[in-house]
Amino acid sequence: MTIIRKLAACAVALGALGTATAVIAEDKPTIVTVVKVTGENWFTRMEEGVVAYGKDNASVTTSQVGPAKADAAQQARLIEDLVAKKVSAIAVVPMDASALEGVLKRAGQRGIKVITHEADSMKNTMVDIEAFDNKVFGARFNEKIAECMGKSGKWTSFVGSLGSLTHVQWADGGSENAQKYPEMELVSEKNESFNDANKAYEKAREILRKYPDIKGFQGGSAVDVIGIGRAVEEAGLQDKTCVFGIGLPKDTGSYLESGAVDGISFWDPKDAGFVMNKVADMVLKGEEIKDGIDLGVPGYEKVTVKKGAGEGVILVGQAWVDVNKSNYSRYPF
Amino acid sequence: MTDLTSTATAPAGKPSAAGIWHWLLRHPPVFTLIMIVLVCLVVGMINPDFWQVANLFDILRASTVRGLFALGVLVVLASGGIDVSFTAIAAFVMYSITMLVTNWMPDMSMPVILLLAAAGGAGFGALNGLLVHSLRAPSLIVTIGTQYVIRSFLLTFVGTALFMNIPVSMESFGKMALFTHHSASGTISVLPASVLVLLVAAVATWWILQRTLIGRGVYAVGGSPGIAERLGYNLRVVHVFVFAYAGLLAGIAGIMHVSSNRLANPFDLAGTELEIIAAVVLGGARITGGSGSVIGTMLGVVLITLVSNVLILVGIPSTWQLAIVGVFIVMAGTVFSLRPRR
Repeated sequence: MTIIRKLAACAVALGALGTATAVIAEDKPTIVTVVKVTGENWFTRMEEGVVAYGKDNASVTTSQVGPAKADAAQQARLIEDLVAKKVSAIAVVPMDASALEGVLKRAGQRGIKVITHEADSMKNTMVDIEAFDNKVFGARFNEKIAECMGKSGKWTSFVGSLGSLTHVQWADGGSENAQKYPEMELVSEKNESFNDANKAYEKAREILRKYPDIKGFQGGSAVDVIGIGRAVEEAGLQDKTCVFGIGLPKDTGSYLESGAVDGISFWDPKDAGFVMNKVADMVLKGEEIKDGIDLGVPGYEKVTVKKGAGEGVILVGQAWVDVNKSNYSRYPF
Repeated sequence: MTDLTSTATAPAGKPSAAGIWHWLLRHPPVFTLIMIVLVCLVVGMINPDFWQVANLFDILRASTVRGLFALGVLVVLASGGIDVSFTAIAAFVMYSITMLVTNWMPDMSMPVILLLAAAGGAGFGALNGLLVHSLRAPSLIVTIGTQYVIRSFLLTFVGTALFMNIPVSMESFGKMALFTHHSASGTISVLPASVLVLLVAAVATWWILQRTLIGRGVYAVGGSPGIAERLGYNLRVVHVFVFAYAGLLAGIAGIMHVSSNRLANPFDLAGTELEIIAAVVLGGARITGGSGSVIGTMLGVVLITLVSNVLILVGIPSTWQLAIVGVFIVMAGTVFSLRPRR
């Protein structure tokens, strides 16, 4: 092999890594969804929505890319590639919103439409899509806990870390809602699990020791309910406690079965992926994103639109999915 | 603790305050023990719920993985090196082995799994040792590097998804109880059998450090590599041994983490390196090498676990908990820095 051929082979390999190469040759608009990391169940499910939108709408080409590792710098590099290739629209689920401001600004200046998801503080986006209002989401957890524990007794909340804004918003939304019920007492709130189920377990054990009569737990990170569930199960308190929080059906299944976890909520990444592409398509066609429009996806039938951190708007749905023992197996992720 | 033998013992006789102070300075684990007792008394006074069997079990359980890591760090520190890659090694080994066993050999028994984990961890560790020795680079830099490489490799090529259905043998090992305690209020607490693994590892580490030639080599190299080499110790053997041993314990710790957690999450354990190193130093090992004992290390681990496991009981809000642990480490560390230099 000559050096040139070797180089060509390298270039082809690199191009394949970039993934987006395949789509730019065509004339129709291309929408590329950039996720936090490839391979995670969550984003594999999101890809289904992205692909589904492309299948339903032959006028655009849709695809999903993401770094192999959940790393803000790698994600920024992927987007730089897409800007260089001049795709029509980029839909991003940012790893770290502030780290992407620069590259997304450049994308906007080059006429690329930028859509984001889970980044309501983002300045350089045209539309940011939120599955729901975080405070309302937290309040919903609390409402379920309140109902389950008979609106009286001690309860506590967990967060992945105090630096995770959404987790703190859920916990605060929960405690605000609990003020409606004077008999409910919030104890030792916002315990940090550091996204480690074992830490959540250890904290839950300690809380059970300090408050043996505790009745409610609100989980923050997706693994919190798993750790809390194990502590509750080992202490034999499945029927005396109410555990609700964000979680994934596949991961939490065994604890839902045993009753240690009473219910989990999440938003369906497939729908979020579909909606991101739909909104990108609408922006490309010049359609207006206004309050109350129907995006034709459950939970996004009557969205709220408000002003964003920058020039763009924030679109908020009510796209939560609540599952319990009876119906969790319908969601394969 | 071998450095103790080289310093002259204080003259026996009247126990003056200064005498006791000097004796304490030469027996660092006693300091750690005193701190543990003090913390227990203070916490027990604030919240009498502290005095429960369940609490003791929880602290022992939480010490297992930390303790295994700390024993490895002790050996590396004693040789004058430092290792920060052990959590990455543990995460890699635990996740890959869980995956391997679940997908291809679901009937593999626990001893074989542990052996496999030990071998895998030791392999990574030996690589660290060879790099440290052949590059003559500071072990901190080398292990920061290998930590990143191992972690990236794990997340890129092995997987990122949570593994909920761990092999039956691991799950039943995690549930195996040494003691089961029923409290008066009807709650059940269990002391898992995994603490025995820590006990065995501690005895083995003690034996290696105190009773074998390689153990003497470790302290000698930590004291002064030049002199150790002239005494006939093979530096390469010592370097590879200490890192391989730390890797071996990390591999076992990873499996303990998975079996007690009943799930394998490749993102777990990362970021806990420094608290483990702090525990070893609080147990009396010098960060510059040549000293440190197994008993001190175990006490250091118990101290760190104790402090991070009583903050809710004492009623400290979670926003303050990390700060309290930090302040505690600084205070305890100061006590050790008062020790006379060699």
